[in-house]
Amino acid sequence: MSCLRWISYGAAAADKKKVFILNTNSGGHAVIGFYFAKELLGSGHEEITSAGGKTVWGDPADVGNVVAGATFDVVLDNNGKDLDTVRPVIDWAKSSGVKHFLFISSAGIYKPTDEPPHVEGDVVKADAGHVGVEKYIAEVFGSWAVFRPQYMIGSGNNKDCEEWFFDHKNRPVPIPGSGMQLTNIAHVRDLSSMLTLAVEKPEAASCNIFNCVSNRTVTLDGMARLCAEAAGLPVEIVHYDPKAVGADAKKAFPFRNMHFYAEPKAPKDRLGWEGTTNLQDDLKERFKEYVKIGRDKKPMQFEIDDKILEALKVPVAV
Amino acid sequence: MAKLVVLQPTKQPPISLLSSSLSNGTKLCQIQVTLFTRGKAPVTQQLPGESDSDYSDFKSKVLHLKRDRQDSEFVKSSLSAEGYDVVYDINGTRLLASNSQYRFICLKPVSKRCQYHTLHDCILFCCINLKSDILPHCEVDAVDPKSRHKGKLNTESLLETSGVNWTSLRPVYIYGPLNYNPVEEWVFHHLKAGRPIPIRNSGVQITQLGHVKDLATAFVQVLGNEKASKQVFNISGEKYITFDGLAKACAKAGGFPEPEIIHYNPKEFDFGKKKAFPFRDQHFFASVEKAKHVLGWKPEFDLVEGLTDSYNLDFSRGTYRKEADFSTDDMILNKSFALQS
Repeated sequence: MSCLRWISYGAAAADKKKVFILNTNSGGHAVIGFYFAKELLGSGHEEITSAGGKTVWGDPADVGNVVAGATFDVVLDNNGKDLDTVRPVIDWAKSSGVKHFLFISSAGIYKPTDEPPHVEGDVVKADAGHVGVEKYIAEVFGSWAVFRPQYMIGSGNNKDCEEWFFDHKNRPVPIPGSGMQLTNIAHVRDLSSMLTLAVEKPEAASCNIFNCVSNRTVTLDGMARLCAEAAGLPVEIVHYDPKAVGADAKKAFPFRNMHFYAEPKAPKDRLGWEGTTNLQDDLKERFKEYVKIGRDKKPMQFEIDDKILEALKVPVAV
Repeated sequence: MAKLVVLQPTKQPPISLLSSSLSNGTKLCQIQVTLFTRGKAPVTQQLPGESDSDYSDFKSKVLHLKRDRQDSEFVKSSLSAEGYDVVYDINGTRLLASNSQYRFICLKPVSKRCQYHTLHDCILFCCINLKSDILPHCEVDAVDPKSRHKGKLNTESLLETSGVNWTSLRPVYIYGPLNYNPVEEWVFHHLKAGRPIPIRNSGVQITQLGHVKDLATAFVQVLGNEKASKQVFNISGEKYITFDGLAKACAKAGGFPEPEIIHYNPKEFDFGKKKAFPFRDQHFFASVEKAKHVLGWKPEFDLVEGLTDSYNLDFSRGTYRKEADFSTDDMILNKSFALQS
């Protein structure tokens, strides 16, 4: 079951757009849908915000029935990762007269490169699920936009990002490889503003791919240091070779163990988008919430960590 | 006709390309180019692939002002007497280190409407880990006051307060034919000798190379450009490259097979004064977005194309600046071999 949310949105009566957001329940980018909905609702005039948004739950494959025949100008699918899941939504949107189709894809489909950053137009992995979806959308719709995010921070995020580092307070932080791998972590408000611009400027956005990421990259070690600084704590980083210690890096660590760095070239060039993410400041806010919800007091297990640290003979303060 | 003087240490071959670009690229604007050097080496150099007639045509047009720039009185009098409209200062480091007052005096009489352009190596943006964890470096970022390039930073500050119309260009690593700094040449020597390429630590460190021709284009584009006035621009390649990736890219450029790369921990060796590796051991790259948006500048070369250009016009013809020296390599290889056996 996924969360289907639709809202009425518009800056002025003439510009009023009906936007339908099909949002996933789980996964690292569900939070984009919530922020986006909030932003669209907040952008309108009073009479529009009072109309509010409506949330329904249902099976995306049955979307036409779930919305009971309602029609929309824009659809954002922030749910599916493959054609089987998204095709019913695309087909329904087309047949019901939707003008613009937006899709949250993933920057993970870029083929790894020695020459970062990934920019829009770079080679993608042909067999990636999202790629099939992107192709189909372009075939079916005259006006579409695809957004490829990486990692994000922000309230309501399903997937641990900065929390993983905060959880490691007073413990060594095991990071695979050299720790110099580059990644991209954006505050979700930036990703939401990008989507909003695409809705407001459909011609500029049309038929374009947008890397839905921050302006800047950060190293894995750097992220550990920034999180520690936000928490007001020292940090002890321990590097390890996953193979050598017999650890599965995917389970042990929440970020890809490689350079994974895309740049938001198209959003800046075509939408006039500007990033506001400032990890130093944003992580301080995130830590405040982390404490507010009591997660800092929650007892935790670090089984995989302990295995790694034992293999490296690194002591852990009890 | 606009008169342009270039303050240039003769060691740097980019000047030939620069002067050539300036003369050719600005024919419409009627620019007269003068090179100010100590004269220890010829001021012009025939570029690989340049015809004899083109070269002699260029050579005949370039004037040479021969004196040591440390001779402040001469600089002051000659520069102001000639009434130059534009000063290109390729290297302000040593100058400032010796006498910052001199620099100021030099600038002032050259005329308030004179444009002053400096070329800086990318100032080391902060050695504190925190700052260099977030990249790329942008023009607005804080700079490291303790950097060995601080002289160039001082030049920029001086320019700001001097009232002179100035532009500062910050390249990262420059490469291209006749490169005085053995960057790609270091890799080409290894490839030609069929030797493995020793790269310090993980090899995932990211650097950035900019073709000298693209840099020269930027020089020309800032000339008389109001948008460039009192601005700093990073000028380099659009994409960055890992150390390992650079070795592979050089191999592609020269038509060599994919190289064997050996990683080593530099702390395990004492290389003395020898440089075992030509790049600084950290991520080091800068965003060129500002130059692209403000000046409409865009690099012509991608990395493999640019390295191919460098290889074809320089190294492959048997020319290079520094002899191959594999002594540090051998230290590294001997140790690896000992560890394996």
